[in-house]
Amino acid sequence: MTALALALVVPWAAGIVLALLDGRRRLVGWIAVAVLAANLAALVVLATQVLPDGRVEATTGNWPTGVGITLRADALSVLFALLSSLALLAATVHEVLDGVRERVFPGLVVLLATGLSGVFLTGDIFDFYVFFELAMTAAYILATYGGTRRELGAALVFTAVNLLGTFIFLLAVAGLYHVTGTLDMAQAAARLARVDPNAAILIAVGFFAAFSVKLGLFPFHFWLPTVYTGARPAVAAILSGGLANIGAYGLLRFGGQLLPGELELAHTALIVIGCASILYGGLLAVSRRTSSEMLAYSAIGQVGYVLVAVGVGGQVGFAAAILYSVINALNKTLLFLTVQMRGALVGAAFAIGAFSVAGVPPAAGFVGKLELFRAAADSPAVLALFVLGSALSFVYVFQIYQFDFWRGERTGPPSTWPQRSLIAVLALVVLGVGLWPEPLLALSHDAAALLAGTAG
Amino acid sequence: MKLAFALAAATLFGTGAYLLLHRDLVRVVLGVVLISQAAVLTLIASGLTRGAAPIYPLTERAVSDPLSQGMALTAIVIGLAVTALLLVLVLRVVESFRSREIDDVAEDEAEHDAELEQRHGREHDEEEAAAR
Repeated sequence: MTALALALVVPWAAGIVLALLDGRRRLVGWIAVAVLAANLAALVVLATQVLPDGRVEATTGNWPTGVGITLRADALSVLFALLSSLALLAATVHEVLDGVRERVFPGLVVLLATGLSGVFLTGDIFDFYVFFELAMTAAYILATYGGTRRELGAALVFTAVNLLGTFIFLLAVAGLYHVTGTLDMAQAAARLARVDPNAAILIAVGFFAAFSVKLGLFPFHFWLPTVYTGARPAVAAILSGGLANIGAYGLLRFGGQLLPGELELAHTALIVIGCASILYGGLLAVSRRTSSEMLAYSAIGQVGYVLVAVGVGGQVGFAAAILYSVINALNKTLLFLTVQMRGALVGAAFAIGAFSVAGVPPAAGFVGKLELFRAAADSPAVLALFVLGSALSFVYVFQIYQFDFWRGERTGPPSTWPQRSLIAVLALVVLGVGLWPEPLLALSHDAAALLAGTAG
Repeated sequence: MKLAFALAAATLFGTGAYLLLHRDLVRVVLGVVLISQAAVLTLIASGLTRGAAPIYPLTERAVSDPLSQGMALTAIVIGLAVTALLLVLVLRVVESFRSREIDDVAEDEAEHDAELEQRHGREHDEEEAAAR
């Protein structure tokens, strides 16, 4: 309960103060890092409380339960909150070591962390929208970070497209409130089972479109390459390692828990869209020759796997989707941060990330791919596509590895050792998850059992 | 009443979507504003009930649904902030591109891509030559 409140209040209050200070000063940057670390610590404490008991609930503002806004932490929300917090912390440390270029950066990252923690830890659908918008607004401004023409153009596209996505989400929320008369997720899930299927399908489509825009799935992906290649490495890592988690979490929470019937109805469509995403992302990534462009298209391909797993559904499918989103976010954080760095250690870290993206045994990606194959074991066509997608990802990551590290196409001053050690730590995390996957596997199966349990 | 709200929201959303597809950036912003208003109207319409204003202390009579009004208010405030942000972004784009047409922004992007493509093509040719 205390940890739940602290995880939200600390970054929120600190973010407002930090937004007023000049972020280019070293001290302010390190304060932001400290706040993010505090947020992470609070989430770890929260996780230790949640995992034995199942869930922690709190009602804000001393209102009676059922009137006030509910904060609710279960295995799924804690896992995603921890992951996003970790990605944000790594990216911020990386940027502060490099020297922050704009005064708003530390404050915005901390506010983004507040929004993300809020999105994952709330049990109220409208509150989800408010925190979602808080995180997105911070991200819109972060996308301009760097301030050249390319970033501005990319940020404009990002903002316009994602605003449309959030308003579609809001329309779906209004529809959901109209048919169920409640905003509490657990109550809404119970009441949606008795709702007219036609209305429920419309609402489900609204939520799906909103979260797909956020994830950058195939037909909704058009904004993504411009933004990810235009932004600075730290911002790209924040967007793909932190912010994109909202999309995966939203699909699981709203699809798996609130609208399970509609999810089942649409499972073929989801698998087809996911497969299209895998193929499109993979093929375009192969044709790219700079690492940031390759990573941007690879991001489109990798979320396709998550969608296919969600489409397969059931406990096995959800577990695979959760596990793969976690591993994908870790990979993308690591790889995007290495984009403008040089040196042997960076090359080794990139190789570990590349193994993970391709799904080669020592790295974490192998465990994720294994779960995916298990989830899709019943349909040979999807399995064949997974193999093709993995082969494509193997080609594109190592093609870039060859260009960048063997032929030394990366020029510029070598990176400083603190930055390199940060990258090495991240690479060790990716490797560690691959070597000892038991805790993460257990956690994602717990979370999936929770979703599938409420579904049936 | 529901029909009136539905028609109004649909008209707003349609007009907004039409404006959003325009080349002029200011019209794009107006499109986003209209779509946000469509969402606000839908929020109000989602809890249409007749009754007294839901202000404490409550009288005997039934009150109208306060939740949809609260949601609409929040959405209006967030919409305002986001519109301001979008306008600032457009202003910065206009200043740095000296144009408010989305085509010019896209052209810049295309030029950048073409440049990269050309460089990679040249490198590829050089490699081929070296291999021969």
